[in-house]
Amino acid sequence: MPQNDTIQDLGLDEYQYHFITEDEPVFRSGRGLNEKVVREISAQKDEPEWMLEFRLKALEIYNAKPMPTWGGDLSNLENVLDEIYFYVRPQEKMERSWDDVPPNIKETFERLGIPEAEQKVLAGVGAQYESEMVYHSLKKEWDEKGVIFDSIEDGLKNHPELFREHFGTVIPSADNKFSAMNSAVWSGGSFVYIPKGVELDTPLQAYFRVNQEQMGQFERTLIIADEGSKAHYIEGCTAPVYSTESFHSGVIEIVVKPGAHFRYTTIQNWSNNMYNLVTQRALVHENATMEWLDGNLGSKLTMKYPSCYLMGEGAHGSILSIAYSGDGQHQDTGGKVIHAAPNTTSQIVSKSISKGTGRSTYRGLCQVHEGAINSKSNVECDALLINDTSRTDTYPYIEIEEKKSNIGHEATVSKVGDEQLFYLMSRGMDEAEAMALIVRGFIEPIAKLLPLEYAVELNRLIELEMEGSVG
Amino acid sequence: MSEWVRAADRSECEGNGCVHATTPAGEKVVIARWGDEIFALEDQCSHQDFPLSDGSVEDGQIECVFHGAKFDLRTGRATQLPAIKPVRTYPVEVRDDGIYIQVG
Amino acid sequence: MAQSTTLDEPIGGLMEGVTDSLNSDLVQSRATGEPEWLRNRRLDAWASYERTPMPTTRLEEWRYTDLSRKLSLDALTPMEWSERAFDRESAPARMAEAMEADHESSGHVVEIDGTVAHVDLDADLAAKGVVLTSLRSAVEDHPELLEEYLATRALPADRGKFQALNAALWTDGIFLHVPRGVRLEHPVRVTRWLSEEGKALFSRTLIVAAEASQVSYVDEILSDDMEVQSLVSSAVEVFAGNGAQVQYVSLQRLGHGPFHLSQQRTIAGKDATLDTLNVNMGATTARLDLNAQLLGSGANSDMLGLCFGEGDQHFDHNTSQDHVAPHAYSDLLYKGALDGRARSVFRGIIKVHKGAQQTDAYQTNRNLLLSEEARADSLPNLEIEADDVRCSHGATVGQLDQDHLFYLMSRGLSRTEAERLVVIGFLGEVLSKLPLGGVVEKISRAVEAKLNV
Repeated sequence: MPQNDTIQDLGLDEYQYHFITEDEPVFRSGRGLNEKVVREISAQKDEPEWMLEFRLKALEIYNAKPMPTWGGDLSNLENVLDEIYFYVRPQEKMERSWDDVPPNIKETFERLGIPEAEQKVLAGVGAQYESEMVYHSLKKEWDEKGVIFDSIEDGLKNHPELFREHFGTVIPSADNKFSAMNSAVWSGGSFVYIPKGVELDTPLQAYFRVNQEQMGQFERTLIIADEGSKAHYIEGCTAPVYSTESFHSGVIEIVVKPGAHFRYTTIQNWSNNMYNLVTQRALVHENATMEWLDGNLGSKLTMKYPSCYLMGEGAHGSILSIAYSGDGQHQDTGGKVIHAAPNTTSQIVSKSISKGTGRSTYRGLCQVHEGAINSKSNVECDALLINDTSRTDTYPYIEIEEKKSNIGHEATVSKVGDEQLFYLMSRGMDEAEAMALIVRGFIEPIAKLLPLEYAVELNRLIELEMEGSVG
Repeated sequence: MSEWVRAADRSECEGNGCVHATTPAGEKVVIARWGDEIFALEDQCSHQDFPLSDGSVEDGQIECVFHGAKFDLRTGRATQLPAIKPVRTYPVEVRDDGIYIQVG
Repeated sequence: MAQSTTLDEPIGGLMEGVTDSLNSDLVQSRATGEPEWLRNRRLDAWASYERTPMPTTRLEEWRYTDLSRKLSLDALTPMEWSERAFDRESAPARMAEAMEADHESSGHVVEIDGTVAHVDLDADLAAKGVVLTSLRSAVEDHPELLEEYLATRALPADRGKFQALNAALWTDGIFLHVPRGVRLEHPVRVTRWLSEEGKALFSRTLIVAAEASQVSYVDEILSDDMEVQSLVSSAVEVFAGNGAQVQYVSLQRLGHGPFHLSQQRTIAGKDATLDTLNVNMGATTARLDLNAQLLGSGANSDMLGLCFGEGDQHFDHNTSQDHVAPHAYSDLLYKGALDGRARSVFRGIIKVHKGAQQTDAYQTNRNLLLSEEARADSLPNLEIEADDVRCSHGATVGQLDQDHLFYLMSRGLSRTEAERLVVIGFLGEVLSKLPLGGVVEKISRAVEAKLNV
């Protein structure tokens, strides 16, 4: 083992976007979650009666459901939830053009270092700031094709029938405690509709961030990819560090109709005080393909298991996931594939890196129902451990009721090889460089599927994280 | 072999809603009323091992309170994720003050 | 959840699983005349049983086996100990056949309905201090060893509902002690027979192999088919001292009807080798809890298992590879073939504790579904808290390899014959890893017999 006594921990593990910009929210709900808050949110949004009822019923379910006792440590969560605001609305109106976006918000995006991609496809970006979209503009091309890319609130207002037909059908409020919470207080998120046969070359992108101390964020996204369409949606987020714990609970519902192809990419880099509890599920019809690409780098605790319900014959689901857990972080992530029709195929690839006292957990489900003949599923999990204080867990559930199926699961756990490290260092690299190179190689199969600017950013992040990591 | 067994009193199923019943053979059944009709289904959600009788009846469907799955009262078909598989249904007859179902 | 404060709440516990027959009176009667330490152990175990809730499918470990449907404790009466003589001539056919196939042994034990009826041991080994005896005799003859090892470090009563039940109610069992440096050339062979329906039988096995000793132990349990359920509860505790080499083999070949519950814990000391093989062929429901603890550095455990299910058989395997010490090795391979409406569950965990560096731990579960209605669930888990480890697991579920079948059929075999060969080859891989005399032949024949049905 190479000696590393001289390598200083440069403190680069700390969150690099540790800053807060000042702004004044227009409306703030009271702290804590109760019926009054839910009614206020609904009234503020001027919602139809059915949505208020939906929210109130969800609140009842939320109150009735116990805290999960599995997954990550949620013991302090009740205290956190008592303190947070469930709704913050930064501005009265949605922005229609980039010029109208207030300078302090632009400054925030600038300092995040992310929006290179945004510059290019600005016209189509829904930027979510605090609990709501503050900036939204559709690219002309998409308008012409009939693509809807709205804030979730506008989706409800402008497309009430399409919205109501699908909202809450993929993930019912009662699915879990946090889907119930989100269903009660959701605010912000996207509504997307890709018409029949429309293929989009440029990804739909949404940025959002939490910027209000002790503020909760309950993004809700509903996506309908109609028959034969093809599109890619990218969501990335980052948030400044605060002293108190914060909370994010999203619900993402996607309907992929026959023959459609949809990819949903998330790169999550919440600050390390964030509880990130997200439910993501896609309903995949005949010969359709759903791909989840899930990167979890930030947060204190993330619990997120993107799912594909393969309901139509020939449907395909794919879940590719990268998790990085540094000191004090727990990424409890994975994926679920449910084969409910013949000739369905799925693939889950999960790569995790645990460093310092970080803990990465893979939790997954592969279920093949009787009659889903000729289903194939393959699951691969690789975990890399950097330090002797790091931890990794693998909890796959494989439930097979159909003889004519072919299901495989494999997982390996390894540490960065001393020999590999020694070799690279003998070629003139310092330890951090060598480590970063090895880690990059480890996640490369997934990273290469990211759009270039995200891949570059991810690599930069890994280099920073690997400084002073060996020991 | 099938037989009719008394599953519940008629008075237990006056309004819309559902009650739990157990057959002499130990089968767990949920008796549900929607409008003027009475239905009997296996009292176990096909998604996970929870009783449907803890849930609610609406629009001709029974909703599992635990994860939000729904089933068609008439056919037992799953109409809402996370359930996919149907639940068993039983023929029902109302005789005098009792509700009878056909088992076996 | 709030504590219930109604007067209906029994004082002292939940009382779940306490029945007209399985109750504190029974514990009292079993403890009558026993030494104080054992009497207290039974009473403590019973108290633990009373206050532990009956496992439900809400518990991860019991997610796929619903005891409320699979086990009718209320209907069972306890199997009592009674003086028995074993006469080979008049043994039931299945039992005689099984014993006939046992060659080359260092000693035999026959247990009938929870009572040890016969023990023999090679005289030279006895002279070297090897002890092979019934657990009841051992209570009188080797109290110090029993007090140290029985239901203490391996299967303490307070670690689970059924561990408690067995510790409170056992009638008899087998005790094997191999002194330091003594090596047994041939296996110890144990034949256990169940004849009665509607009974709850509690038996224990305690194997203590001292430093640098060596022993193989084959534990076979059989019965005829039964109309009415019996519960057979087997608690097995195996200790391998530093540098000892121990093989424990369990062959469960009960007839249709019984519920078999086997709880096993193996503890391997420094540089010890402690291998296990669990074969589940019979019973209507069979549950195995196997915990292998690698307690000393350099310890080594191969854990093998196979099952063949048909009809309505339900097998549930719950294993753990518990790496406490560094430089230890464990390798698990469990395979199942399932026909009819049979179902198998495999839940295994590799747990590498903090500081258990240089651990090598592997876990493989493979399942073959032979019919439309068979079902397999597999949950191979890892929990790793040390970084310098090599761990992997794999699980597969599938049907017979069609290419393989096609090849055999192209060589002139019928489809049925080809399928048989592929299944035997699939399961045979497990047996080939622990080639113990008599075991391979016996199990191969049992598999073939099932395939012929």
